[in-house]
Amino acid sequence: MGRSATTKDAHALFHSLRSAYAATPNNLKIIDLYILFAVATAVIQVAYMAIVGSFPFNSFLSGVLSCVGTAVLAVSLRIQVNKDNKEFKDLPPERAFADFVLCNLVLHLVIINFLG
Amino acid sequence: MAAPKFAFLLLNLISILPLLVSSFSVDRPTDRRILVLLDDLSLKSSHSLFFSSLKSRGFDLDFKLADDPAIAVKRYGQYMYDGLILLSPSTERFGGSLDVEGVLDFVDSGHDLIVAADANASDLIRNIAAECGVDFDEDPSAVVVDHSSYAVSETEGDHTLIAADDFIQSDVILGNKKIEAPVLFKGIGHSLNPANSMVLKALSASPSSYSTNPSSKLSSQPPSLYGTAISLVSVVQARNAARIMISGSLDMFSNRLFRAGVQKSGSLNKYEKSGNEQFITELSKWIFHERGHLKAVNLRHNKVGESEEPSMYRINDDLEFSVEIFEWSGSSWVPHVSKDVQVQFYMMSPYVLKTLSTNGKGLYHTSFKVPDVYGVFQFKVEYQKLGYTSLSLSKQIPVRPFKHNEYERFITTAFPYYGASFSMGNYVDVSTKYMIELQMAGFFIFSGVYLYNK
Repeated sequence: MGRSATTKDAHALFHSLRSAYAATPNNLKIIDLYILFAVATAVIQVAYMAIVGSFPFNSFLSGVLSCVGTAVLAVSLRIQVNKDNKEFKDLPPERAFADFVLCNLVLHLVIINFLG
Repeated sequence: MAAPKFAFLLLNLISILPLLVSSFSVDRPTDRRILVLLDDLSLKSSHSLFFSSLKSRGFDLDFKLADDPAIAVKRYGQYMYDGLILLSPSTERFGGSLDVEGVLDFVDSGHDLIVAADANASDLIRNIAAECGVDFDEDPSAVVVDHSSYAVSETEGDHTLIAADDFIQSDVILGNKKIEAPVLFKGIGHSLNPANSMVLKALSASPSSYSTNPSSKLSSQPPSLYGTAISLVSVVQARNAARIMISGSLDMFSNRLFRAGVQKSGSLNKYEKSGNEQFITELSKWIFHERGHLKAVNLRHNKVGESEEPSMYRINDDLEFSVEIFEWSGSSWVPHVSKDVQVQFYMMSPYVLKTLSTNGKGLYHTSFKVPDVYGVFQFKVEYQKLGYTSLSLSKQIPVRPFKHNEYERFITTAFPYYGASFSMGNYVDVSTKYMIELQMAGFFIFSGVYLYNK
């Protein structure tokens, strides 16, 4: 009886989360998808390293940190672009995106240098 | 009166010239001039078959009595002979300027020596033999006796004349033809130090032989030399290719034993002629470098695809190595054919050891990859085969590591990481150079236009 109650609660929680998420605007959903993609790529690289070994360790770090770095930058982009966020009410979203692109450029300059 | 003095000087110089021309040289390793020291000039006739076989092969024999005061092997620092035969077992001291030191210097300078000892051999001969690695029995009156391998004869009944057929197994030293008849031997035996790797038993005594004084009663202690530890004839090949033969019997060289028939006791075979002549002749051919003398020339190495020798290799290079080995046939250099010449690529220990393949004409070659270690290496060929002169060649070559631009550009195991960073929006590498140049160009154009535009 307690078990069925917990699963019922879990189901209810899951459904409420899903419906709440469906309400978010599309641009945020795209950013979320990009973040998911970046993290998934990082995980795949870690799994590959666990199998093959860490031979060009610099390349491994470079690859993982590029994924993590863009994920972090995408998260900050999402924060700045989110209309519900009062702190960045006056920030034009184009400015946020321009920041995102420039920071990515700098990140990838370092990444490509370290990649070997 | 300067003219006669000048003529005298010229005559002297001219007389030395033939001596220089006919001397031993690296191109013709066979000896030419041999000094023979005898106890007794009657040996010239009683051993004439031996001497005439040497003369017929082109040697110049110079006979002297062992205590002749005119004996000199060296004059003005140059050796006058290429070989020395000592058939003087009972001589206590040589005449002239020759002594044990002189004989050993002669051998150390690369010349050959035949020494024959006998019963009651003098200390001089024993010392010479000891310096060459051969120890005669300390009892001066002991001879080799063999009660089951003696030569059957009507006259000599004390079994000191033995029939030996335990030869060293080597076609180089004893020739291609098998020696059928046993060799007759009468004399003293010697032993070899087992730690000495350069001295070999050419003729070994049978297991039933022992060294004793035949006229005295056998002592209660066993004889110090017995069995196959006794060597009847030994040969030494020194590292400078000098060859020495030490025999415990002078009679072995005599005409009497050359011509005698032999029947070994216990065997039914009766041979018309003993194996002495064949044995001594073939052995003297080897001693005087008519056989088994090698030379190696043209040690070359180069990168695969090139023809010059580089001054330095890089790790993981492919290289080829070749060397030519010739053998002296008695009159000319012929290619030496062998399957076991090896080359080492050596730095403190051989990193690469390869057997060289031959084309049958004396050229040995192989190719291999330089190991993944950098440093100063040597190509080493160490060839030591029974009966042949030893070859010890080496050539030094440095090996450098990769230069910074010789590493592989992209590491295959890292491709997923390259792919991941590119998929994250990283297109900087290929475009960076051009972007930077474009930027610079754009900046200059912009500033030019801006500054000079009214």
